[in-house]
Amino acid sequence: MIKQKLSQREAKVLAFIEEKTGNFEDLILEIHAWQRTACRPYANFCAPMPSPATWHEIPALPLSAFRQAAIRCFSEGETERTFRTSGTTGEGYGEHHFQTLEVYRAAALAGWQLAGLPAGNVHCLLPKPTESPHSSLSCMAGWLAPAERFFWKDWDPLAKVLTGTEGPVALFGTALAFLDFFDWLGSRTLRLPEGSLAIETGGYKGSGREIPQEEFYARFTEKLGLEDIRNEYGMTELSSQFYAAGCPGVHRGGPWVRARVIDPETGLEAQDGATGVLRIFDLANIGSCCAIQTRDLAIRRGKDFELIGRDPAALPRGCSRSADEMLAR
Amino acid sequence: MKTAERAHRLAGILREFPFLGEISVENLLEVVERELGHPEILDGFRPYAGHFSRAIPREPILHVVSENTPHAALQSLARGLLLGARNFLKLPSGGLPEAEQFGKMAVEAGFSLQMTGGRETAPAMLREAKAVVVFGSDETISHFRKLVPGDAVFEPHGHRISLGMVFDDPRGESAPLAARDVSLFNQKGCLSPQDIYVAGDARGYAMHLAREMEQFHRKDPRGPVTPYEAAQIADMRANYRFRSANDPRVQIWESAGGTDWTVIYEEDPWFAASCLNRVVFVKPLPDDPAAALGPALDWLAAIGLWPATPEYVEKLAGLRPSRFCTLGRMQDAPFSWHQEGRQTLAPLVQWVDFQP
Repeated sequence: MIKQKLSQREAKVLAFIEEKTGNFEDLILEIHAWQRTACRPYANFCAPMPSPATWHEIPALPLSAFRQAAIRCFSEGETERTFRTSGTTGEGYGEHHFQTLEVYRAAALAGWQLAGLPAGNVHCLLPKPTESPHSSLSCMAGWLAPAERFFWKDWDPLAKVLTGTEGPVALFGTALAFLDFFDWLGSRTLRLPEGSLAIETGGYKGSGREIPQEEFYARFTEKLGLEDIRNEYGMTELSSQFYAAGCPGVHRGGPWVRARVIDPETGLEAQDGATGVLRIFDLANIGSCCAIQTRDLAIRRGKDFELIGRDPAALPRGCSRSADEMLAR
Repeated sequence: MKTAERAHRLAGILREFPFLGEISVENLLEVVERELGHPEILDGFRPYAGHFSRAIPREPILHVVSENTPHAALQSLARGLLLGARNFLKLPSGGLPEAEQFGKMAVEAGFSLQMTGGRETAPAMLREAKAVVVFGSDETISHFRKLVPGDAVFEPHGHRISLGMVFDDPRGESAPLAARDVSLFNQKGCLSPQDIYVAGDARGYAMHLAREMEQFHRKDPRGPVTPYEAAQIADMRANYRFRSANDPRVQIWESAGGTDWTVIYEEDPWFAASCLNRVVFVKPLPDDPAAALGPALDWLAAIGLWPATPEYVEKLAGLRPSRFCTLGRMQDAPFSWHQEGRQTLAPLVQWVDFQP
């Protein structure tokens, strides 16, 4: 029923995600050509650049564009949902508008499945979608778990549910929520059924908490007896996600989303094993912009990547106060 | 060793570090006289406002210096040596070759100095110090503030911002000077301008500055930066490319084939913080610079002026930077400058008065 409302382009992308019909390069070039005319701020951005011959050449929009302009290929009145970034970097909010959530939903569910994550018994350490309507993460989690499996800040009910559970569970939440839950547990530990796993996402931006990933993952083992820990890499400005297992893990996405690690000095793709910034090409970003230039550092691992993130410890050295420090105040 | 002899030996060492500028024996003794009242007041009781006084260094002095700013490190150490104090030098974890070399020469010249490196400062040094001079981030300063013994003097020097102001330069004649100030030390010094405010045709000035940034780069390339720093520049450029594509009040000029330099013209006079490494903003000079600087006022170090006339300095004195100078000399702070608006020798001594 819903599919009938989709545009031809959306239907094609949906078919590619769900039924693997079509090919990535043709689709993304077609969608880019359309976005280049349909989204005025992006059209202006692309104007000095030639039309791309390959998907590599599609001009990538910086994340800041989502703060500065309405990045959408439809009218404001046609907007079904708008998700907002957390604004924790101190630069204001970015907004990602959707005309339909159908493609986002398909990409999120297919990505979850491709990463080998379980379809049932997902418990979320997140606000419920109804309580956090502007959170794309809560929205996505709402497709994975019913409302009664959302836990946020009040950890007693979660501990009770986990204590009584029999089959394997999947815990999905932000890194900060897990840390908060572990703090709440104190010296207590839980032992989750065999086959259980955790998927953590998001950094510690603005929280003042910094913990090495290795130490963080060791707490899952110590507090919950979990050995299988995954990281989900996604962001409000994207519709698809990447997943990695273990620490350090290699992030991989579905066939409809690709990552390139770009040498920021040259703008060219980094050598395998070299560090650069992540550029994401996400077919599911059909109503906004398919090519996104992130600010995250990563190491190229073939077609996949190992995430470093925005390393706050790597501020330029010296005594000149930089932009990052101004924002950190 | 008397003060004059120390000044003599110190001037000899300082000559080996020409980036500090010319510092003569007389310059050193004059700073002692200006700050402490008499050039020999560290050597014995000397006349002081109707009685006699003697200055005694608070020692040992611990200098905690940061990476890539040998200027500040060497100047701080030179002050401690000039006072005749025992000195401890805590080197940054990544090392600071100029400071190490300076330190070795000082020891050979008979000065009292002990150096240490690594992430941790020897606790014994901190316990013993009677004065602690720290250069670094807010975090570093706050870390040491907690550790400094209660009876010790604490002299923090945090991260600062600097800017240029051009009042009368329709042909962009000062642009090469601004390019020098921006480019030297890759903006990592607290005296490096991040924004240049221009009266008149600011966009035209930005174009001149871009040309001069390229000229400077050809003579004196920036050199490599970390992937994180390059990523910050790439992000800032992409951000402003998007802005300029959608807003005629913004324009960007950038080096080709790399991140060597970037000039961003932005009509909004609100102070924009640079990501450093030769990324500079050019903005129209507003009627009320204090309002445009906003919170940046709290961290203001130097304002480079063109032309640097007493009239402009008086007019801008209310912004309370610690230094005004002519554009092109922003990086050449003299040994006698009041870093962060404070005396630099006086806090490191204590006094004994003699009233016959």
